[in-house]
Amino acid sequence: MATERHVIEPITTSRQLRFLEEAQLDTLREATLDILENVGVRFDSEKALVIFAEHGANVDRSSQIVKLPRDLVLKAMANVPRRFTLGARDPDLDLPLKEGVTYFTNDGCGHNVVDFETGEQRASALADVAMMARINDYLPSMSFCWTMVSAQDCGATAPLYEMDAAWKNNTKHYQSVTMMGEKLCRYGVEMATALRGSLEEVKRRPPMSLICCTIAPLVQDKDALEGAMVLAEAGIPVVIMSMPTMGTTAPATFAGALALADAEVISGTVLMQLATPGARVFHCILHAWADPRTGGYVGYPLDARTRFAPVEIAHHWGMPSLGGACGTESAEVASWQAAAEVATDPLLVSMASAEIVTGLGLRATYTLLYPEAIILDSDLYNQARYSHLDMEISPETLAVDVSAKVGAGGHFLGEKHTRKYMRDALVRSNCQELDAAGQYRDPVEVAREKVRWILENHHPEPPAPEVQKELDRILAAADKELKG
Amino acid sequence: MSEKLFEALIQAVIDGEEEEAEALVRQALEQGVDPLACINEGLMKGIEEVGDLFSNGTYFLPELIQGAGAMKAALEILEPELVGKEQREVVGTVVLGTVAGDQHEIGKTLVGTMLTANGFKVIDIGVDQKADDFVAAIEESGANIVGASALLTTTLLELKRLIDSIAEAGLAEKVKVMIGGAPVTQDFAKEIGADGYADDAIAAVAVARKMVGAAA
Ligand code: B1M
Repeated sequence: MATERHVIEPITTSRQLRFLEEAQLDTLREATLDILENVGVRFDSEKALVIFAEHGANVDRSSQIVKLPRDLVLKAMANVPRRFTLGARDPDLDLPLKEGVTYFTNDGCGHNVVDFETGEQRASALADVAMMARINDYLPSMSFCWTMVSAQDCGATAPLYEMDAAWKNNTKHYQSVTMMGEKLCRYGVEMATALRGSLEEVKRRPPMSLICCTIAPLVQDKDALEGAMVLAEAGIPVVIMSMPTMGTTAPATFAGALALADAEVISGTVLMQLATPGARVFHCILHAWADPRTGGYVGYPLDARTRFAPVEIAHHWGMPSLGGACGTESAEVASWQAAAEVATDPLLVSMASAEIVTGLGLRATYTLLYPEAIILDSDLYNQARYSHLDMEISPETLAVDVSAKVGAGGHFLGEKHTRKYMRDALVRSNCQELDAAGQYRDPVEVAREKVRWILENHHPEPPAPEVQKELDRILAAADKELKG
Repeated sequence: MSEKLFEALIQAVIDGEEEEAEALVRQALEQGVDPLACINEGLMKGIEEVGDLFSNGTYFLPELIQGAGAMKAALEILEPELVGKEQREVVGTVVLGTVAGDQHEIGKTLVGTMLTANGFKVIDIGVDQKADDFVAAIEESGANIVGASALLTTTLLELKRLIDSIAEAGLAEKVKVMIGGAPVTQDFAKEIGADGYADDAIAAVAVARKMVGAAA
């Protein structure tokens, strides 16, 4: 099958940005421990309550509030692995978590689509999941693949069909944003095992991982957690994600929102460690603001100081971090707002050293897909990536001899050295493509052409027929059991 | 004497002082003041003022929510005293919740607050509520509107289930169904036979008023 391009280009940098001082991180952690020990978190899961009780947590069965003694938290947290590998379908695209490397993916779980052909807005479907997985596979800016929109035409087993569509169209690591509940997740493990050939291989190179959301303030969702526990037991990494909204579901102060959200993430992580010591868990806080008049969800106010402080909070706990970038509020594919709000995200989040980052390609606060948006966002990504690349300083690149030759006045166009380097010295973005007359083209038009080209030319290798047969069998069994 | 008390009650609601409002109505009851007068001359005037301050941009959501909270707390003390007497006038009674499997709270809560601030009695049954729970709450309260919120495409179908359950319980003639939430659209509402749809909390008030035949 034709695969024109098959590399990933994560952002690699040795430069680091610190938003918080060590002492501030300690203070935040103390607040988290205080909340966990004295306020508690509600776990709407009998299974979780039993595990906590067995390990000496203070469990109130009637309110389902679990209070976690400090020592219990610290002991459990000592088991969280700092680094591991996210396996891809293609082993060359495995993602070993490393210092100074940040892997990005697309945004997830939108529900509206501006149809690429008709331009009409409509509900998302499985075909959109497949299409975007294919585009993701082609783009080097994408190191792994998120469920970009929901397969609304697939009913209760949609999360399994979404993963199947991703595997058919994408050879990178897959992270599900929708798989919830014990039953569904057992099928998820079965599918991962079919893909890898054995559970041992799933553990060694997990081809999938999961986003598991807490419910701010201080509640854990039964389905999300019980599903996550099933996956963690099979060695599949999970991201515990809190999305506190300042003013509505969290205090209206930065520190308050972060401490509350951290308590949610840590309580979930402790549970994972008690259930499966050494479970691979990412820490994630995506905080947002509530509009004080409408309650509307605002991700990008002007004052978003310490936007990537959550990455440092994660590292302070010794956990890898998922950072969030590019979730613009703009509903337009290429408005000034869509680019300006998020323009510094890829740069800042990679300098904060997040291990993995979500967020390219949706509009209207993670709800609306324009297939071409991911191409435009990749420009912002690449701007950050190039900013971090090293500048080579050597006699050859210093070219003092060439400057001496040209001397004062004149030009360099006649030099062999120029001939050798000039072509690659200027890298244009999608926004800077020129037409035949040398004029800048409309970036959206350029993006549309790229999308069309990818869809016509890029056909990643699907799973082997016998593997696909097994996946189909599992999907049918899941439909039978869960669609009822 | 009562005048002063009513003024203090109005102010307690405007200031969102829940404990103060409770203390004042307790005091009023001890002094034999008519509970309905406390509601109409105190609490309702206070919440109207809060609503005006919100509409003209002086107040933000916390002031609105806390004003409604003070009113609600005081009402809880006054309403049992109305048994057998003339009841307070409400624009309509709304059972409100987020559907089963869905934990998204904020949109639903805002709709509830705006309805409360506009004279509706709101029974907020919370998030992750099954169709049967809505039906039970409608039966218990005699509500004439049910408001259901869904934020997930996977829980949209619960809205349809709710409408079916309301019909099965023989309540379809008695209660109007309003739905909302990010993935819900006017077309979807029509398709599943909901009586109304609103895309934000302010629109929800207009839809609810229309449903009970109140002036816009
Ligand atoms: C009765 O009449 C009416 C009338 C009008 C009504 C109405 C009822 N109800 C609402 N309205 C209307 O009026 C309100 C006021 O103006 C408005 O209400 P809204 O609720 O729209 O607006 C609020 C004021 C502010 N908006 C919000 O609070 C929602 C914002 C987003 C970002 C969101 C949040 C914050 C959360 N989430 Co959720 N979440 C998203 C949302 C994306 C988005 N942009 O909407 C969405 C809805 N979530 C999603 C997902 C996937 C999930 N979430 C989940 C969890 C959460 C949090 C708990 C983290 C948090 C909610 C916290 C809480 N306590 O409420 C999970 C599900 C949990 C569950 N079982 O419900 C989880 C499955 C994630 C996971 N893997 O665990 C996506 C849905 C995708 C889909 N296909 O359906 C999503 C679009 C984000 C995304 N792209 O991933 C109107 O819609």
